[in-house]
Amino acid sequence: MRSVLVLITCFVALAVLGPMLAPYDPTAINIPKRLRPPGGEWLLGTDALGRDILSRLLHGARWSLGLAFLISLIGLCIGTLMGLAAALGGKITDWTIMRITDTFLAFPELVAAVVIAGLLGGGTTSLIFALCVTSWMRYARVARGIGLSLETRGYVVQAKLAGLSSFPIARWHYLPALLPSLTVVWTGMFARAILGISTLGFLGFGVQPPTPEWGTMLLDARIHMRSTPLQMIWPGLAVLICVLSINLTGDALRDALAADEKS
Amino acid sequence: MSILLSLIIRAVVVLAGTAIATFTLLWNAPGDPALAIARARYHTIVSPEIVDQIRREAGLDAGFWPAFQAWIGPLLVGDFGNSSVSGTPVLPDLIATMSYTLPLALAGLAIGVAVSVPLAILATTRPGGWLDRFAVALASVSAAIPAYWLGLLLILLFAVQLSWLPAMGARTTAHAILPALTLGLGVAASLTRIIRSGILEARGQNFLPAFKRRGVAKRSIERDHVAPHAAIPVVTVFGLELAFLLEGLVVVEVIFARPGLGSFLVSAIGARDFPKVQAAVLLTALVFVVINLLIDLFYKVIDPRIDMGIGGQDA
Repeated sequence: MRSVLVLITCFVALAVLGPMLAPYDPTAINIPKRLRPPGGEWLLGTDALGRDILSRLLHGARWSLGLAFLISLIGLCIGTLMGLAAALGGKITDWTIMRITDTFLAFPELVAAVVIAGLLGGGTTSLIFALCVTSWMRYARVARGIGLSLETRGYVVQAKLAGLSSFPIARWHYLPALLPSLTVVWTGMFARAILGISTLGFLGFGVQPPTPEWGTMLLDARIHMRSTPLQMIWPGLAVLICVLSINLTGDALRDALAADEKS
Repeated sequence: MSILLSLIIRAVVVLAGTAIATFTLLWNAPGDPALAIARARYHTIVSPEIVDQIRREAGLDAGFWPAFQAWIGPLLVGDFGNSSVSGTPVLPDLIATMSYTLPLALAGLAIGVAVSVPLAILATTRPGGWLDRFAVALASVSAAIPAYWLGLLLILLFAVQLSWLPAMGARTTAHAILPALTLGLGVAASLTRIIRSGILEARGQNFLPAFKRRGVAKRSIERDHVAPHAAIPVVTVFGLELAFLLEGLVVVEVIFARPGLGSFLVSAIGARDFPKVQAAVLLTALVFVVINLLIDLFYKVIDPRIDMGIGGQDA
């Protein structure tokens, strides 16, 4: 759990402080200085419109990481509520919710996000909506699964016999038991959200230019692959490093939880 | 038999849900679809009369339910309707895309298996050794590489710098090499991890030392007891793998300009060609649901110990 907290702190710091550290305005166009190689005045060079790539990367962190954080948290909330409702709500509620979950899972998440964001016409709002709608199902399944296994536990039965209604049981008995597993799922979904945002940006359905976002930066850089190939490396590398560090943290957390359960 | 039946019912519910969700989404999408069709058809500014005519022809002036019935009725007998932009039937175009998408998907899967199985087996010969750590590191990094970036890097290296392979289009088999590699490396990343931990777990089964002491050959232990056990998690994640493959296909086909299902979907969305979007979405859902159904059945066959709650029992 501690490693997850450290990681989140680092990323939040990057998203908040990144733009302050940027040496230039990320949207300032400077055509005479376009497509400069890295080094000298521009540490990572400039793009096709003469904008400083390093500044764009640092500002992009706010969009890529910040939005991914927001989206994965919204997904966590929706999914947990759905899962708890399914576990506590009785047979008919359970059946309905799980069939809705199945329907959403019946489609590769990213493809669904592309369809939704594309039809809603691109832009940040559609991006958030598209990725939230397609990212709550895993939480719901995990929450329901663990929820059902808690049903026969002594303390839950006691609480029910004591006359507690579903809501306090969910809040005080189910939620704490769900938290570790949901955190593991959350790390995976956070990484997926970063990939999703940049993929949608790359396809032109995400955050719209001139806002610096890593996927859109790649889309711009792609055209100039022959003249300035390095320009294409940086945004992809940024995504790779973020996703890798989140995934490794998630793995470590999962292993730690598995070890806890065994002992 | 009842399991098969409940799985099929579940698949039908899911497909119906997808159809309704897609239609609702299309119906409520912002912007005037008739205007978008007019733009895609004529590429210029058109008079409001023509837009109105398109609206009537495409049945967009009817309410939600009449329009839904007009769409779902023919669909049930296999008629996907006509493209609202070109006016040609959607189905032949859609089937034509599969001749690009299917071989690419299979090639990607084949590369993924061809890389991951030997790598995982080599890695587990000495767990914790340098080869094992290398395999795990490689798998972690490949899993974190965005597919679109990997594709662009491969183009940069093999098409731009070395000029060994063509990058854009789908005319020859050589055109498929880079896209298949892009897909395959992604698949290999997750498969390596799963097969590796599957083998390690299978070796830890408590009855294996007993076999060993009774003199059963190491080879036959590996073949008859480790390999089948290690295969189970691979089948379990096959559905996820398939989702990954389909997601990768969309991106890869756009990057490499291949006229497959993914680029069909993306261009149909861009042109607001609703019948095409609906057809592509439903086909993707159908493929996905059917293969997942087969996986569920297969899972039951290879692991008879588990009386899973699949199908109706848990519902």
